[in-house]
Amino acid sequence: MSEKLTKVQFTNFDKILFPQIKVTKAQVIEYYIKIAPKMLRHLANRPLVLTRFPDGVEKEGFYEKDTPEGTPSWVKTVTLYSETAKRDVHYILCNDLDTLIWLANLAAIEIHIPLSTVDHRDKPDFVFFDVDPEPPATYEDAAEVALLLKEKLNQLGLEPYVKTSGKKGLHVLIPIAREYTFRETRAFVHTVGKQLSKEHAIVVSEFSETKKPGKVFIDYLQNSHGRTMICPYSLRAVPTATVSTPLDWSEVKKRIKPAEFNISNVASLRKDPWKNIFGNKQKLEVK
Amino acid sequence: MAKKPKPAQPSRRAIWSGSITIGLVNVPVKLYAMIYDRGINFHFLHKTDNQPLKYERVCTKDGKLVPWEEVAKGYEVAKNEYVVFDQEELDAVKPESDKRIRIDKFVDYFSVDPTYFNTTYALMPDKSNDAYSLLLAALKKMGKAGAGRITLRTKEYPVLVHAYKDALVLTTLRYAYDVVDPQAFEELKELKAPEKAELDLAMKIIKDLSGEFDITEYEDTYRRKVEELIAKKLKGEKIVVEKPAEEEVKGLMIALRETLKQLEKK
Repeated sequence: MSEKLTKVQFTNFDKILFPQIKVTKAQVIEYYIKIAPKMLRHLANRPLVLTRFPDGVEKEGFYEKDTPEGTPSWVKTVTLYSETAKRDVHYILCNDLDTLIWLANLAAIEIHIPLSTVDHRDKPDFVFFDVDPEPPATYEDAAEVALLLKEKLNQLGLEPYVKTSGKKGLHVLIPIAREYTFRETRAFVHTVGKQLSKEHAIVVSEFSETKKPGKVFIDYLQNSHGRTMICPYSLRAVPTATVSTPLDWSEVKKRIKPAEFNISNVASLRKDPWKNIFGNKQKLEVK
Repeated sequence: MAKKPKPAQPSRRAIWSGSITIGLVNVPVKLYAMIYDRGINFHFLHKTDNQPLKYERVCTKDGKLVPWEEVAKGYEVAKNEYVVFDQEELDAVKPESDKRIRIDKFVDYFSVDPTYFNTTYALMPDKSNDAYSLLLAALKKMGKAGAGRITLRTKEYPVLVHAYKDALVLTTLRYAYDVVDPQAFEELKELKAPEKAELDLAMKIIKDLSGEFDITEYEDTYRRKVEELIAKKLKGEKIVVEKPAEEEVKGLMIALRETLKQLEKK
């Protein structure tokens, strides 16, 4: 490379990462380069959890929290004690384009983020409703429940945002002022979920009910220290290379299928429906 | 940076002359080439002394040079089996151009799919200014094209005569049987109709990206680069052969530059 546009040394460009649609690593890198202007602010200062697929998404991938061997010195990391691993873990922080390109070059197809930033780890800045349909419930059912949830939150004076999970569910988020603990946000999500399950038979809100066939589970447990969510605009390791895509609520109403939002169109064609999300921090009436 | 290629210049030599005939009306015209496929031409040279090479007709049996007097034409009916013709025999059946562009009817120019368009020639009046001008004005006003036939050299073509940039032009067409019907491809048999929501989204994307087509935005970049090289060589500059970047790298660098620009703006 004659020009020095990036510090990243690319490797194995032609490796096919999505065999079914013949997408190469070069194309994955190109996607992350193009989406960076919209994605970087969601990554900033959050210790990342990666799912890497060096041999493509049809081969087994692996989770990675620790910086891998050969991590260049310019990649920002933060050392934190991991409760689950019971040891210090050197997490990667992705605060710039080069780091994102480097992650793509590692075949880190999925990038997961915690709901709080590294400087306020115990004070989440997002409330997260994971709306997850259990077959035979479908995406359409999840969309239905997400809309009910939106209505309920609107009644509480809140403005939720929505994205596809990239699989069959939807993620509903409220950006919040850093005034609450995870215990409080979790309780809030659980309360709203219970209320909705009382009003609508299709909704379940208890962990014990998650596998009830045909129901849609509003998962509150993700609002916890150390838990992560798929980052907005991250690719998913599914054969069709879908993207966890921020949506306009009108797109949920239209039931546009999550598969419509994928590596081939999200970066180039869409406006960002979440443009103002960081300027819209809200307060919860947790009682 | 080399300048844009000069527009193609009109030829002074007509390649055909005759009349457009519509019923009993004749409009004498001359036909001029209008389409040029201007790639870059290279000549083969002998590397050791830069002398041009030439082709010779050599007999495949004994390797000896064959003079033109001894050349016949053969139509291969089976592997290595030929029906042999003299030039005179072929000349005898050559269709005589009757010096006419016979217009059978008038059609909407855009009702003929461009798939059938072969090549376009400029028609110029041949001491027939008034008739030419009248036909041109009428076709232009009605947006119609005359459909008919012409014989050029030894081949008869269906043609359209229409008004283009205030001139009459003639477009030769391909025969229907020379064009493959894409429905004959097996791949299309598996196509399903899209769902409405998908179709709506696709149509929205197309609408958002719709614009005016401007052919002058397109340029043969290979041709331009070779012309730049030629200019450099003429000035005596040494050409450094750069290892071409892989296609992927080029795409990435374009994306990267665009993203860096966007991030800078923020």
